[in-house]
Amino acid sequence: MMNNYHGIIFAYKSYPELRELVAERTAASLPICSRYRLIDFALSSLRNADIVDVGVIMQRDYQSLLDHLGAGKPWDMSRRSGGLRMLPPFGLPAFHQGDYAGTIEALNAVASYIEESPKKYFVLMIGNLCANINLREVCRVHEESDAEITAVCANYEPDVLHNRYVVGDDGYVMQCLYDRSGPSQGIPSLECYIINKDTLLRLMDRCRALDKYRWHQDAIAMFLREGGKMNTYIHRTYARVIKDVNGYYAANMDLLLSGNRASLFPPSRPVRTKLAKGVSTYYGTEASSVNSLVADDCIIEGSLENCIIFRGVHVEKGAVLKNCIIMKSGIVKEGSHLSYVISDKSVIFSPETTLTGSPKLPIVVPKGTEV
Amino acid sequence: MSKQCIAMLLAGGQGSRLYALTQDVAKPGVPFGGKYRIIDFPLSNCANSGIDTVGVLTQYRPLQLNSYIGSGQPWDLDVDDGGVYILPPYQTAGEKGSWFTGTANAIYQNISFMEGFEPENVLILSGDHIYKMDYADMLKEHLSHNAALTIAVQQVSMEEATRLGIMSCGDNGYINEFEEKPAHPKSDLASMGIYIFNWKKLRDYLIADENDPKSSKDFGKNIIPNMLAAGEKLWPYRFNGYWRDVGTITSLWDANMDMLSTTLINLYDPSWPIYSRSPICPPHYTGEGSSIVHSIISEGCEIFGRVENSVLSPSVKVGRNASVLYSVLMPGAVVEDGATVEYAIVGENTVIHKNAHVGAEPDGSEKWGVATCGPNIEIREGAAVPAAAMIYTGEEV
Repeated sequence: MMNNYHGIIFAYKSYPELRELVAERTAASLPICSRYRLIDFALSSLRNADIVDVGVIMQRDYQSLLDHLGAGKPWDMSRRSGGLRMLPPFGLPAFHQGDYAGTIEALNAVASYIEESPKKYFVLMIGNLCANINLREVCRVHEESDAEITAVCANYEPDVLHNRYVVGDDGYVMQCLYDRSGPSQGIPSLECYIINKDTLLRLMDRCRALDKYRWHQDAIAMFLREGGKMNTYIHRTYARVIKDVNGYYAANMDLLLSGNRASLFPPSRPVRTKLAKGVSTYYGTEASSVNSLVADDCIIEGSLENCIIFRGVHVEKGAVLKNCIIMKSGIVKEGSHLSYVISDKSVIFSPETTLTGSPKLPIVVPKGTEV
Repeated sequence: MSKQCIAMLLAGGQGSRLYALTQDVAKPGVPFGGKYRIIDFPLSNCANSGIDTVGVLTQYRPLQLNSYIGSGQPWDLDVDDGGVYILPPYQTAGEKGSWFTGTANAIYQNISFMEGFEPENVLILSGDHIYKMDYADMLKEHLSHNAALTIAVQQVSMEEATRLGIMSCGDNGYINEFEEKPAHPKSDLASMGIYIFNWKKLRDYLIADENDPKSSKDFGKNIIPNMLAAGEKLWPYRFNGYWRDVGTITSLWDANMDMLSTTLINLYDPSWPIYSRSPICPPHYTGEGSSIVHSIISEGCEIFGRVENSVLSPSVKVGRNASVLYSVLMPGAVVEDGATVEYAIVGENTVIHKNAHVGAEPDGSEKWGVATCGPNIEIREGAAVPAAAMIYTGEEV
């Protein structure tokens, strides 16, 4: 048991570039890979390192997230003491309005929760990271170093805005580069940190005094300026931070490659999600399914190619789906032809519907629509 | 605290006619219909019928079953004033204790368990039947007919009747005769092995039967005939829905094939879900070159070959150019590239290596049957397992 760690997941951001997909949810509760929500990866990474005291910071549009998390049972976080805690804002001044100005403000909004934790270290993660991180290993590396912060970084070059850490000859971070969009100096951050509790509280306190709330530009910059030691850990398998529709679409399609699935779903560190009822998927007499991921509880009577199909979807006879993502309880009626379509939950496609998007511009059909 | 009805589920039988499939697990723990185990059906029926207290009587190879049932959470049976209880045989002070010697004796040995709930009625279930039934409706009939015992019955053909327990009813609708496997059946109503007893009557008859040295301590052979002889009111609860006993290889295979048809039993009906303890695995993947027709596929499967008319449990792998036809593949079974499995049942984690061939199409002969491989077997590359074969764990093929 790894008892010295407390997890915090930031699930308050919606990211406008995710458009219709976040109309009624935050990025952390986006459905992904046929049966998961994005936050399952952070929760499972924590659980698989025996870190089960976890706070989830949320601010608005969190109904879908609450529904998914429940009491935290699937991640073994339903505990007599500690366990999963939902953290809607409760420590904000009355005059506060609008979104959190930054990670530090989000943390300050739940400061008493953090102060009361008996743990020595905190793991901070974002809820929209699609990666299975071996946190047990990251924690070991952190404890063996004399750094106060360890940042988990990627070994790929993201094409969305991200921050980078430049590592000096001594192996510690010298500098943080903000909002980069392509290859550059340093290594890209996956926004997953191990931080000593004392250090975290100190940074929260000092930033509040200065009325500055951004994590990288304010807290980390101050920490590095004052000679603080920050280590890095490179996560060497699949990882994507999901911030926009194209990134969401691409990540789902990435999972059709067996190597990516193997790195996201290693048998020793399973990804856990909300329990659902048990029925398997039925393929009809005229079905065909090629290079697709399909969840349980579906009835597939049409044909699928390069598709991600969630629970409870019914694809009727003669329907042809290519390069599509069909979320929970979608119904694709007879003779429909869909290509490069992302349909949100409970969408119904009438018979003979034809919808064609493109790889760079997939069509998003909002929740509950009848097409 | 008193309960209107609690359930006692008989799950201790070996299921010896499933041979290799029940070497390490009791029959109710055998995987079924993709994501289920046989016991999921009675447990889910209880949950859906509002019965929240279930005693599961185990005896033969209970380990897998115990860990599968756990706290009862998947069936919503982890409630505060009831829940699911595993009831193995136990020792009593000054005595040696004894195994359950018959169905009635198993229930007799748990009289004190049942007393703790002060039940008005007790539902007795078997752990080896596939069906969806609203026990609340059966209880309603039981109460409205003021019966000492209500027995669920199903109409069968006269030919089947010779192999089952058959009830005959009088003009008033109550049961007046019960015959086990009659050569010349007087009725076509067969007992489904589902009973609701008035608790006080059950208790009295169990104690009387236990004290009868000649009794074989069986509900069908002793308790029911004794109650009829004493003039108790026995009411038949007629059930027309899908119901199968899966006690033999052929019936297990048949019932699995039935799951492919939603007209026989609809597992997708949201009003009566069958719950199960799901393993943690990703969605199933269908690769290039795969072809899946009229089949059930579960989470964690990876399909690169041809699957037709088959039922695949979670985490089954089917390799390239492999064929799986009219077969039942249990969790973790692997069919490697170029191998063929037809008219077969393949046990958990058994590997059919490359180009091996298991089972054969029906040829009309008497000897033909479904081929069965038990769990954790390796069928070596290129080997052939003929129709009707029974391969046990530890055998080399």
